[in-house]
Amino acid sequence: MLQGMPSQGYYTRKGGEGVLSGSTLMTGNLAAAWGARLAGVDYVPAYPITPQTEIIETIAKWVRLGQMKGKLVQMDSEHSMLTAAGSASLSGARVFTATSSQGLLYGLEMLYNISGWRAPILLVNVSRGLAAPITLEPDHNDVLAARDSGFLQFHAETCQEVLDLILLGYRVAEDRSVLLPAIVNLDGFYLSFTREKVELPKMDTVSTFLPEYDPPAPLRATKPVSHGATVLSGNLYSYFRYRMHAASLEASEVFRKASAEYGGLFGREYEATEGYMLQDAEYVIVMSNSFTTIGKQVVAKLRERGVAAGLLKLRMLRPFPFDDVAKSLAGRRAVAVFDQNLSPGFGGILYPEILASLYHKKNRPQFVLPVVGGLGGKQLTVQELERVFESLRNGPPTFPDRPDPMYLMREDEFDRAKRNIAIASGGG
Amino acid sequence: MMIRVRFHGRGGQGAKTASRILGTAAFNEGLNVQDSPVYGAERRGAPVAAFTRISDGEVLERGYVFDPDVVMVMDSTLLDNPTARPLDGIRRRGVLFVNSQTGSSFHGIQTARPDIRVATFDLTGEALSLVGKAVISSATAAAAARIIGLVTDGSLEKAIRSELEELGLNDELIEKNVTLGRKVFASLEPVELSTDEYFVRSGLVPFELIMGERTGTEEITSAGNSNAVKTGSWRIFKPIIDYNKCTACMVCFAYCPESALTLRGDYKPVIDEDNCKGCLICYRECPPKAITLEKEVREF
Repeated sequence: MLQGMPSQGYYTRKGGEGVLSGSTLMTGNLAAAWGARLAGVDYVPAYPITPQTEIIETIAKWVRLGQMKGKLVQMDSEHSMLTAAGSASLSGARVFTATSSQGLLYGLEMLYNISGWRAPILLVNVSRGLAAPITLEPDHNDVLAARDSGFLQFHAETCQEVLDLILLGYRVAEDRSVLLPAIVNLDGFYLSFTREKVELPKMDTVSTFLPEYDPPAPLRATKPVSHGATVLSGNLYSYFRYRMHAASLEASEVFRKASAEYGGLFGREYEATEGYMLQDAEYVIVMSNSFTTIGKQVVAKLRERGVAAGLLKLRMLRPFPFDDVAKSLAGRRAVAVFDQNLSPGFGGILYPEILASLYHKKNRPQFVLPVVGGLGGKQLTVQELERVFESLRNGPPTFPDRPDPMYLMREDEFDRAKRNIAIASGGG
Repeated sequence: MMIRVRFHGRGGQGAKTASRILGTAAFNEGLNVQDSPVYGAERRGAPVAAFTRISDGEVLERGYVFDPDVVMVMDSTLLDNPTARPLDGIRRRGVLFVNSQTGSSFHGIQTARPDIRVATFDLTGEALSLVGKAVISSATAAAAARIIGLVTDGSLEKAIRSELEELGLNDELIEKNVTLGRKVFASLEPVELSTDEYFVRSGLVPFELIMGERTGTEEITSAGNSNAVKTGSWRIFKPIIDYNKCTACMVCFAYCPESALTLRGDYKPVIDEDNCKGCLICYRECPPKAITLEKEVREF
């Protein structure tokens, strides 16, 4: 057994690289590091930021102990880190890196380059609210700032999904019909520092599922190629951007097939979305990432009370699963979209994407309620989500006008915030 | 069956490790487990909470445990701490465990919440005598494991070993912790945990109220407000200056990272007890060894 890792399976200890597998307790950060290790990555450019740092620390330890073959280099910033990541990928290396929050935004310029180079790196983002004011706990304004970069986006609810989506992410990203980089997102604290049961796949089975990356035009000293060419023309630019869009759309089908194969090998199959108690549900909440677990708890409780509640989880954010969303939500009485992010002056970012999926459906729900909550990791309680479902059941107060968005904050939280502000402002 | 244990400690006391030892011990018993800490910016002495959820089914919960079956208070000064709020939400007929040096029965708490069971034990005293350090991760985990009654002493010992090994402790220290865990485990009794929700429900704030705020709170602009947080409560040991030995060299004044030392007219230091966090750098650096330590014993 590896140090500190309890086991319910045949997880063997010390010097056992390649034979480690079974069921263990691990954090989301450790699961992410295992994803990189099992994918057999060649190169890990790194730069520390809370709450992601543990991923890189773990990989650094494994590389030092010779348990992982890749090369890890600490860079001078996230911008350099991502530049190195994209460039190395063009040489044919399988590249892994990770960041959070401000780090992702500092490297944002390079995300558009990497996708334009069609370099299929995998970037783990551990969500953390953006400054200012400064916080450490999660919301999704960071990862959604990269929404339009051309990176595929997979969002994890559990530590198990973190690991699985990294392996699936590489498989889809490196597919010749896709060739786009991917982000796997996990929530800081709620997953990054939370331990739960994770099934660790066997290394040799992973190698079957994810053979070595075979780049179409690798950079070689003996065979020069160019990437990221200057086009200086709208028609060439549009052509390549449309091609990128087409590749991203293509990734839906590639993901579906890869996931079926993954399910056959490891017993866990993933769809772009996941329904929870959706069958015959009249009131559905749409959620993503780790708070989905709390949503499921509320739905299960409401079902016990005879309320036809259900939940739709968004797992793949890019390409956006329009058809899955439309199919899952059409015909429902009312839908709430829980956005753990905020576009000031508009509201939740995913809300319009859900509406866009539904607009042309004849039997679209009459009432789609925008809900914003969990900003900066603000706790989400069962009672708040019960209130959301209550609103769905009561129908829109201003119907047929635009529904009033719900911005979740409990009275006790509001009072405490005001008290803290008063202390901080008055000095005592 | 789902048991939720909430640990309240101070940074450096081992709350996170305690939650993990308990989690691993329950996992070793074949149960489903989820454990996690919350600690904001990592600061020794600051209030920390950690959680272990144990279930024979799926764990459909995450983050802060609002309604614990068992609360483990590792430092009794946290009982009335406005940030930690360890008494919040304890389920009816739940258990409050307090690491206490004074033998107090916490009468005030029992009067306010007659439905909960209060258990106490001097974990710190036991740790100081068996391990030689005031770190009580294994002791607290052992107490929690015994109270919830789902974990055998064998699984607990295995968990103490694996978690402390992960932290890089040497074998001698690990064995001392196992001894400590065994002692605490044997000293307590399991408690029947048939608890019910005890929840103070809170309404939602309508957005108009937030929209209508006109108190200039777009940002916190006042400076120097860190003094308002009385970090003196974070100390486990208090530095005491022997003014007869003190040579007014001012080394402690230069080293204090919190500016909690000021100089009086004769250039000898005065400690601001409200804000000294007890990092003990002054104690270590003092050239004439004029600073001694006193264990903090403050009870609720």
